[in-house]
Amino acid sequence: MDNILQIERVSKSYTGHKALDDVSLNVPRGAVYGLLGPNGAGKTTLIRVITRITLADSGSVLLDGKTLTANDIFKIGYMPEERGLYKKMRVGEQALFFARLRGLEGREAEHRLRHWFERLSIADWWDKKVEDLSKGMAQKVQFITTVVHEPKLLIFDEPFSGFDPINANLLKEEILGLRDRGATVIFSTHNMASVEEICDHITLINKSHNILSGSVEEIRRSAGGNNFEVLHRASDTSFEQALAGRATTIGQSVGVVGGFRQTKIHIPEDRDIRAVIASLNDNCELRALREVMPSMNDIFIRAVNGTL
Amino acid sequence: MKKMYLIIEREYLERVRKKSFIIVTLLMPILMIGLMVAPTLMMLYSTSDQKQIVVIDKSGRVADKLQPSAEILFVEESILSKAEACNVYNEESGIFGVLYIGEEIEARDSVQLITNSSLSPMLEENIATQISSIVEREKLLAYDIDNLDEILANVETNIELSTYLNDGTGAEESMESTSSGMNYILGLVLGMLLYMVILLYGQMVLTSVVEEKSSRVLDVMVTTCTPFQLMMGKILGIALVAITQIGIWALLVISSSKFLLPTLLPADIAATNDMMLGTVVGTLGDTGYIAMLFAYLLLFILGGFLLYASLYAAAGSAVDSVQDGQQFNTVIMLPIILSMIVMTSVFSDPNSSLVFWGSMIPFTSPVVMVARIPFGIPTWEIVTSLIVLYGTFIFTTWLAAKIYRVGIFMHGKRPSWGDLWRWIRQ
Repeated sequence: MDNILQIERVSKSYTGHKALDDVSLNVPRGAVYGLLGPNGAGKTTLIRVITRITLADSGSVLLDGKTLTANDIFKIGYMPEERGLYKKMRVGEQALFFARLRGLEGREAEHRLRHWFERLSIADWWDKKVEDLSKGMAQKVQFITTVVHEPKLLIFDEPFSGFDPINANLLKEEILGLRDRGATVIFSTHNMASVEEICDHITLINKSHNILSGSVEEIRRSAGGNNFEVLHRASDTSFEQALAGRATTIGQSVGVVGGFRQTKIHIPEDRDIRAVIASLNDNCELRALREVMPSMNDIFIRAVNGTL
Repeated sequence: MKKMYLIIEREYLERVRKKSFIIVTLLMPILMIGLMVAPTLMMLYSTSDQKQIVVIDKSGRVADKLQPSAEILFVEESILSKAEACNVYNEESGIFGVLYIGEEIEARDSVQLITNSSLSPMLEENIATQISSIVEREKLLAYDIDNLDEILANVETNIELSTYLNDGTGAEESMESTSSGMNYILGLVLGMLLYMVILLYGQMVLTSVVEEKSSRVLDVMVTTCTPFQLMMGKILGIALVAITQIGIWALLVISSSKFLLPTLLPADIAATNDMMLGTVVGTLGDTGYIAMLFAYLLLFILGGFLLYASLYAAAGSAVDSVQDGQQFNTVIMLPIILSMIVMTSVFSDPNSSLVFWGSMIPFTSPVVMVARIPFGIPTWEIVTSLIVLYGTFIFTTWLAAKIYRVGIFMHGKRPSWGDLWRWIRQ
């Protein structure tokens, strides 16, 4: 696969603790890549290593297969967690300053910024002072200043923090839009809902180690453990009997809706699903059967606790 | 270059637009004019009460010849004894004091001034001079010379020494006139000016660097421009702020002293001011020479400011809070104070090796060289000094950028020598 960014065996320690221990990961071109992990796991340190704000003690970071240099950093878009704006400056001026610092011409920068401000419905903040903005508002401004020069690689540190659900959604849409226009997006978060919705790939970092890496689809499937949801006529008495030896029920039946009962079952990997379906079909009035994938939240918690 | 320009612009506009900047810029000239005008006005219009001094002249030679002035009025009461006078003319009497003159004026402790409150050195001087000249004149009269006053007026001499720098032609029209007194004042003023400018604006550079480090703006800046661009941009931006503010001050003060002061001050005092300025300009030489001197002065003061500002930038890069940074203040100021000391020896010998090196070493050269220039210094020395000064400024800024960068790398870590070496090479 074509990787835009490769991180190879990166370690970084601070006085007293190791923030990153032998972390490797590959970011495919055009992906939305999530860096997950509990607080203090080393996500921000990893991002700061990628952006060369800090240097790794060992290991290397490759961009397009070549060692990342200081000049490369000027071409990417990086948004720190928060407080990444000059407090005393006015919003519009500040956005223009950063846009021009990132290489846009004054007129072009203003044109694009006005467009973005309209898009995120903050056009009337142009003349406000940054110190008068709320956390979420400032985050929107930061977001715009990060993406306005349309870099190929975008890195966001906790982009969703400080946002209400409506604005978080707005931001998700924008991130996906950027991906569709050809950018690769890396962001760190512990907001699992956002991961399910927009990430193609993730890396889960816990206690400075990379404990899980891969495409979201594959991870969920492999963590799924062949669990299914069955919808069948509530009056069926032979449901348990039909499963016997082929599958086991998990937990309590969820409830009865419109005469149908929903039950979660587990089919061991060596069993044939078709046989289960056939048996159920013969014995009960089967309405539906579908695979249940674990939520990223479950996977996150299980991975962190080491029970995945 | 474009990025540096953007940083300069940002630093400049942020400061210049501040309300505090505008207020201080407008208020300062008012205060300065006030300082210039107030003492003169106070001298003119204050009815300083005349001090009455009771004179007991046992010699009988002085009392009637003492001249009263605006400050002192002498009242003779020679019949009283010293003790009686002191007794009567105590604090409640409203009399300032008692001047006692013994029979033998020139004997030790013979002339005494006993006052009820503290007396000014000026008053003391006034009385002492008056008595001395009265006695002197009395002695001269004893020689019984005819036309004594005429002779005395004739004897009084005042020689003016014109000094020139030898250019080998022997024609004084072509030789530069020099003036050590003027140079001395110029050097002193420049030293003070540089000191004040650095104190006022150097701190700004430090604060600017430190404040940025305490927020995540640092992350954004580090990923969008090089530390050198950032440091240089900050220093030049603040230098522009300084130039703007001082420029406005100069403009306001000069224009108001031209147009406002004459209306505030009586004509004769204003005329004296103009004359003094005329004398200053006159002693310095022709206008071309003054323009050149002024150009050098600006170059050196700007260079001096930039160099010291870059030192502040380096200090700011090395610390985490403004308070910590202020510790460096004394260290940074020391060379300026040193240069003012070295400067004073320019006037005993403008070409001594101490002074020569003082005007070459960039930390002292702005003050010392400017004091030397009016004495006629070879151009190569001035140019070399300027190159060294500006070169050092660029080097210190580069160094500040390195310290800044390594400071960020060092964050949260006790670095090994290996780490430091690796970081510095980045």
